[in-house]
Amino acid sequence: MRRNTLFAGGALALAVALTASACGTVDTGGGGGADGECSLNIGVMGALSGANASIVLPSVNAAKMALAEYEAEDPECAVKLVEFDTEGDPAKAPGVATKMVQDESYIGVIGGAFSGETKATQPIFADGSLTMISQSATATELTVDEPSETFHRVVGHDLVQGTAIANYVAEVLEAEKVFVVDDQTAYGAPLGEKIREVLGDKVTESDKTQEKQTDFAATIGKIESAKPDAIVYAGYAAEAGPFLKQIRDAGLETPFIGGDGLYGVDFPKAAGDASEGAIVTCPCVPSEGTFAEDYEEMFGEAAGAYAGEGYDAMSIFLEGIKAGHTTREDMETYVDGYTGEGLTKNYSFDENGDVAAENVIVWSYKVEDGALVPDQEIEQ
Amino acid sequence: MDFSNLIEGLGGYTIDGLTKGSIYALVALGYTLVYGVLRLINFAHGEVFMVGAWTVLGVYTALGADSGVGVPLAIGITLLAGLVAATATAGTALVIERVAYKPLRDKNAPRLIVLITAIGCSMVLMELFGHAFKVWFPGAQFGRAAVNIPTIIPTQEAFSIGGVGVSNIDLIVIVAGVAMMIVLDQFVNKSRLGRGVRAVAQDPDTASLMGVNKDRIIVLVFVIGGVAAGLAALLHTLKYDFAKFDMGFLIGMKAFTAAVLGGIGNLRGALVGGLLLGICEVYSSAVISSNWEDVTAFVILVVVLMFRPTGILGESLGKARA
Repeated sequence: MRRNTLFAGGALALAVALTASACGTVDTGGGGGADGECSLNIGVMGALSGANASIVLPSVNAAKMALAEYEAEDPECAVKLVEFDTEGDPAKAPGVATKMVQDESYIGVIGGAFSGETKATQPIFADGSLTMISQSATATELTVDEPSETFHRVVGHDLVQGTAIANYVAEVLEAEKVFVVDDQTAYGAPLGEKIREVLGDKVTESDKTQEKQTDFAATIGKIESAKPDAIVYAGYAAEAGPFLKQIRDAGLETPFIGGDGLYGVDFPKAAGDASEGAIVTCPCVPSEGTFAEDYEEMFGEAAGAYAGEGYDAMSIFLEGIKAGHTTREDMETYVDGYTGEGLTKNYSFDENGDVAAENVIVWSYKVEDGALVPDQEIEQ
Repeated sequence: MDFSNLIEGLGGYTIDGLTKGSIYALVALGYTLVYGVLRLINFAHGEVFMVGAWTVLGVYTALGADSGVGVPLAIGITLLAGLVAATATAGTALVIERVAYKPLRDKNAPRLIVLITAIGCSMVLMELFGHAFKVWFPGAQFGRAAVNIPTIIPTQEAFSIGGVGVSNIDLIVIVAGVAMMIVLDQFVNKSRLGRGVRAVAQDPDTASLMGVNKDRIIVLVFVIGGVAAGLAALLHTLKYDFAKFDMGFLIGMKAFTAAVLGGIGNLRGALVGGLLLGICEVYSSAVISSNWEDVTAFVILVVVLMFRPTGILGESLGKARA
């Protein structure tokens, strides 16, 4: 009996420890701000923990920077940035969205960071007339197929990126024979489709893989017999790592290029030495100048994916508040009609909430010594 | 459907399938042994494998090993990593047995309850590597992302048969995998301890009357399964070079399928099932595309079970001839 009590005690302690460590990452940060008469909240939602947090956290940090600069000006209105962790899960995001919609002090939301969670929350924010500015959700359907009243984004969508990848392969790599692989996800499939469409005859063969796949022998066999000049992968880092590794192990030195699903530290980390020289495109502009320096000083690391976009999204809201737009309706009208020069590009939103296509800039990055280094801006 | 692709590259695809299958077979062994003795599906076994992969990474990191080391050193490091990984996985399997299964068995809990604690163990292990260790050891590489493991033995062509190149890695994986299966099969069928394992599998009560210590046999079975999973993790590392917190789930699922396909509870069945599954997956990927490999694997399982409900070799561990 005594032994059982001891065991149960141990199990309880373990459970508490695990729960405590799980809670450790939940963090409501943001600036404090004095309690003035006017006090507003801006929410930011996305995968703040979990597998893909590395492509979300930089934008949240950058939004904090924008807020700090706003507070330094000693404004009339106190603004708080409240973080919501959805883990990028479309099932968790609606609860978070409802919470923000019901709290009148929220005037805008930065996010969702990923396309799935954004799609799941668009109707909720539209019903509550809460303005969304996404820093990184790039799926085409969010604006083109099913536009939402209150949705805006400060990045280009996947079709723009698909065209850019195709242009890079055709013009920079001057490839005549291209092998296109996509991972059949909501992100990879349409991106792969667009790349195939733009490249047309240059695509000698293509293959489909799936999430969590580890062995790519069959695909590599097809690559070996097709002998392409370039391999394009539309998918995420977790599979691209082992895939590229096995391509190089098979003795193929073919250039490898992927979309922003590979952007971030996870891809070089998963592929190791094999990722050297691989190309990753991203509709995100490299962070440079004072912004990059300030960011590094404040957070102790280089500004990562979508940092500039996160800064811009927050700045648009803050400019609106400065101009006296402190109700949800006013803010929505303000953002809809916003024009201005941001850190990464010039903004004006079309009726669906997209940035004008001519203003979207896609950059290519090259893996050098395990880090993504800006390569060049891709011609549209 | 593109059969010409399969036929042109048949040799290469077969080698790849055998490599994949050898790893499945070694992991399947853990399922099959535990099932044979306890009639329990140890769903945490895939995570035992995952622990092995992280241990290999740990050993490499501790020794500062990377692709630059010479051949003799590379072999030494690999053997050491295998030894440490096998110890770690055997330990993990044993801890799972002690914490999650034995207390329930002592209370005669229904098998379904044990199955649920098995799934619980698997989640605990996954979250330890995916989350808790990351919080507890901030500098380490733990987390949700896949982590590359340095290539100690670079891939080279070892020899070629009729124009089909066999790489050194494929050769090591297949030979090591099959050799380990044969050693184990001999152990269970010929040795004194192996006879105990078979006796307990056949009839635990009579076996204890005959002087077989049932608890020791159960511990032995978990240790053997753990060692096999650790060595499988080493071979997986040589071939695929990565560790990830949820890598055990899919491999565990496939290995379990391989075990059922060959006849669960049957050691030779695990080998046959594993190799068959590996080859079928690679062939179907070659003919259609990679996203069909799981579909094919499970269709084959269903078809085989329709005609041979006990799997291809069917026989249970207890009935295996000495």
